[in-house]
Amino acid sequence: MKNTLKQVFHSGKFVVGFVIFSFIVLTVIIFPLIIKTDPLGIISQGSTQGSFLPPGIYVNVYDSLNTLPYTLMLDDAAAKRIASKLSPDDRTAIKEWLVAAGVPETQIDSTDTKSLLDLWAKNYDPKKQIPGMTFAKTRYFQRLNTSLQGILSTEGVILATKNAQTGALEQTDTVAQSDYVNASEVPNVRLLLLGTDNFGRDVTAELVSATGTSLLIGIVAGLIATTIGLVLGLAAGYMGGVVDDVIMFFTNLLTVIPTIVILILISYSIGQEKRGPVIIAVVIGFTAWVWTARAVRAQVFSLRDRDHVSLSKLSGHPVWLIIFTDIFPYIASYVIMALILQISTAILYEASLSILGLGPKTTDSATLGLMMNWGFYYMAPSLGKWWAYMPVIVVIALVSFSLNLMNTGLDQVYNPALRE
Amino acid sequence: MNEVMLEVNELTTKYITRYNEDIYAVDHVSLKVEEGKTLGIAGESGCGKSTLALSLMGYYFAPLYYTSGEIIIDGRNISGMDPDIVRKSILGTEISYIPQAAMNALNPTRKIINFIEDVYRAHDVYKTKKEVYDLACECLNILGLPVEVLQKYPVELSGGMKQRTVIAVSVILYPKILIADEPSSALDVTSQKMVIKMLRDLMKDGFIKSMIFITHELPLLYNVTDDIMVMYAGQIVEKASAKEAVFDPLHPYSKGLMGSIIVPEQGLRDVKLAAIPGVPPNLKNPPPGCRFAPRCKYAVAECSLSVNLHNIEGGRAYRCIFSESELREYYKKEAEQYARK
Amino acid sequence: MKGYAKYFSKKLVWFGITFFAAFLLNFFLPRMMPGDPVAAIVARMAQGQTNTAGVQAIYEQYTELFGTNKPMMTQFFIYLKNVIHGDFGFSFSQYPRTVANVLKSSLWWTVILQFPAIIIGFLIGNVLGVLAAYLRGWYDKALMPLSIFASGFPAFGMATVLLVIFGITLNWFPTSGGYGFDMIPNLSWAFFGSVIVHYMLPFLSIVLIAIGGWAIGMRSMSIYELNSDYVKYSRFMGIKDSKIIQYVFRNAMLPQITGLALAIGTMVGGALVAEIIFSYPGLGTTLLSAIRGQDYPMISAVTLIITMMVLFATFALEILYGFIDPRIKATQSD
Repeated sequence: MKNTLKQVFHSGKFVVGFVIFSFIVLTVIIFPLIIKTDPLGIISQGSTQGSFLPPGIYVNVYDSLNTLPYTLMLDDAAAKRIASKLSPDDRTAIKEWLVAAGVPETQIDSTDTKSLLDLWAKNYDPKKQIPGMTFAKTRYFQRLNTSLQGILSTEGVILATKNAQTGALEQTDTVAQSDYVNASEVPNVRLLLLGTDNFGRDVTAELVSATGTSLLIGIVAGLIATTIGLVLGLAAGYMGGVVDDVIMFFTNLLTVIPTIVILILISYSIGQEKRGPVIIAVVIGFTAWVWTARAVRAQVFSLRDRDHVSLSKLSGHPVWLIIFTDIFPYIASYVIMALILQISTAILYEASLSILGLGPKTTDSATLGLMMNWGFYYMAPSLGKWWAYMPVIVVIALVSFSLNLMNTGLDQVYNPALRE
Repeated sequence: MNEVMLEVNELTTKYITRYNEDIYAVDHVSLKVEEGKTLGIAGESGCGKSTLALSLMGYYFAPLYYTSGEIIIDGRNISGMDPDIVRKSILGTEISYIPQAAMNALNPTRKIINFIEDVYRAHDVYKTKKEVYDLACECLNILGLPVEVLQKYPVELSGGMKQRTVIAVSVILYPKILIADEPSSALDVTSQKMVIKMLRDLMKDGFIKSMIFITHELPLLYNVTDDIMVMYAGQIVEKASAKEAVFDPLHPYSKGLMGSIIVPEQGLRDVKLAAIPGVPPNLKNPPPGCRFAPRCKYAVAECSLSVNLHNIEGGRAYRCIFSESELREYYKKEAEQYARK
Repeated sequence: MKGYAKYFSKKLVWFGITFFAAFLLNFFLPRMMPGDPVAAIVARMAQGQTNTAGVQAIYEQYTELFGTNKPMMTQFFIYLKNVIHGDFGFSFSQYPRTVANVLKSSLWWTVILQFPAIIIGFLIGNVLGVLAAYLRGWYDKALMPLSIFASGFPAFGMATVLLVIFGITLNWFPTSGGYGFDMIPNLSWAFFGSVIVHYMLPFLSIVLIAIGGWAIGMRSMSIYELNSDYVKYSRFMGIKDSKIIQYVFRNAMLPQITGLALAIGTMVGGALVAEIIFSYPGLGTTLLSAIRGQDYPMISAVTLIITMMVLFATFALEILYGFIDPRIKATQSD
């Protein structure tokens, strides 16, 4: 046993898979302890298509105005400010306009912001007709011109509040262009690593919670499926005869009838109300045992006629003792590999069901599949809101990949011929 | 003096394990087989006889590697030859091999006749299907096998039939030397007899010119071979004619080996079975000097220094530091001690 | 051919039994759940809880057609009779189209996508697997991790990744539909081209994963075969390596074909979800809209059709196997 463990942990593939998987599990367990956010809590409002706030650090503007500012003189501050208003496309457009307006091209340097804007300010005439320019383009240049007003000024902004009595605006404070606030002094700063999804939930917290739920479903379903498979496989393999025929009949039936079909039918019939994560896990477990049963049965068959089993039979050992001590240790390796495989498949089944809309209740908890479902239902890919579904895919892939790696590693330990 | 069909000089081949260790399973082996003669190679499991057989073919693939030495078949030195040339002109045509447990040696999804066609084509011999069929029938007829076998799949043949079919396929190109690796070990006694007879007929009818017969079943050796070579831990420890090796072995290991043969006869009940204690050395780190010394009754300190093969008259050889007379003395004393009991 | 009679008849009997069992399952499973969905929906209708008269008409027609107010056994035979006639009733969500009408087009789209995809993925995967086992070295080291990764990837995952990279970011392929929105199905080259372009991403998402899975399996099988006695003997009889690979491929493929028969159910399931990601007009999308629209007859019909498809494919494969494995014929004739 110890030797096997040593070999197992020497297998590169197994170790990598194990590390990744453990990392995921640990994150799922530790994250909620450190960061106490309600994963299903809605924190942003959105339009009918969902809110989808992009990832980033969200600093409360009101609070930052009330926080003591520091002065920082940074060389590139002005350039950055301008760059955010003036994209490279805009610069090219300005250059085009200037050329069309008659300014010699050699005088225009689109990289020199100051001179470019000088030329623009000197030459731009909103009423000037440029031949061949569409109406939309004209409007574009007008908008551009407005947004560029004052871009080069170094004036600050004035804050004013309404006087409660007179209703007039009174200046309370100014904000200079060189004022910076230390984000850690601002009382309300929120890091949204993965933004928010369509409902307005913090994707990071939701993802961790969803991974946890999916893993739970996977493990429960995997355990159920492996247990059923083990019991049926042992029974069919060891007892043979009628028992074997009956079990094989059902096994073959369930092999050919796609599991997903049965899952769909059962899920749909249970109805939206009753579908909690545990029920789904149970349903998946009860339909996915086929492969394990088959593998166990095959292995038991080959063991059944071995000498040590015959010896036990002759010694009058009861059936359960023979199965437990003579047969089980040899199939233990299969069972472990089967369990890992079943967990992986169960997670994927749950995801598939959820994408179809037959997953666990959406109000209870999030699962990886449900997050995928929402992402697609609310058009996240087409809107370019990658954070709503890409991290989910990455997590699903990692979970699946790590489990598969562990399995392949184990396979190479138990079948030396497959080693590199 | 007959022509020498196979001459091997100081052949050394090794296995390279996954951990990059070298294991010299065949260590400076030399032998000669003449036309019309059968050489038997005896020894316990793991002594290197099968590896020797594979090494003699001249075709190596991982993890077996050729290190040094010469293999000369009918005057042709094949060691170090280009593998593709070996494949086309040596394997099967000059020297051929019957594997152990030959029943699994046939491709389960190929008819026998199709496999034979493949063998011909692989040797750049292009014949029509009819020609191949006729040749095959001819071969089977000579060997006493039914022609129907050709159209069957291996699964349709019995164990003994499969073994004999494999022998037929191995000699279909009329090789000069046939290496039979435990040809009868996996069979029942009747089939064994048929196989042995087949092999002897092959020699007698001139189908093959010489044979190397590898076995761990010592009783067979005397009946089948002309000369015997005893191997231990990758080295040859004794070479002698069959009669001498079985009835008058010199090397202590050979003596122990022959002494362990049970012959059913009267008085057997009272005879104690002589066993050689201990196990063969690990070839990763073979002991210096005589490899049998740790298990040898007569070992002395000098045995751990290097020991060479001594050639004595009559073409015999053995690997021991003691002289022939010294050894015979030891054996005589043993026999007397035993008789006294 | 005579030698196969026993083999075929056994397989045919098995096929018939499974067919019937699947049918039974498809019928009884939903109805056995607490809260028979059909009865619930129908009951709601009878109490007039929806507002559209047209919708009511559908439900009443369904009750009429399938007799949901009659005892279970009667219902079953009515159902059986209807299905044989290809009558699944009206679609609840796409009234006035009948379920059969909707299925006729979706089914075709799914078949032309999944059937070639599964087969091509299978063949390419197996060839790569054999090469990995034979060539070893860098080829094997490169292929293995890729295959493990690809095979563990769920079909919808691959679909999403392909969609995002090639469809949205690079814009090489369209992201949804089976053909351009502006096209009406006809037999022109333009239409055909549009179909192909829309076909590529869903096709690839199925194929790439299949390749990964089969490559790994075939590699293991091939390694096993390459270490077998007959390979060693063939080599010693001078047979060239290229021929040896043929031997190994042939022998390792046999269990792989059996494996394919076993795996088709799962592959089709995965492929359906991939279809959904691309809004590809096949059974997947049909199923999705049926579930969203509480369209019970549609769901029931789609699941039945999927099961039948898989059953037929499995049966076909088993027959094929009988032809390919010479041992089957050989052991039949005695």
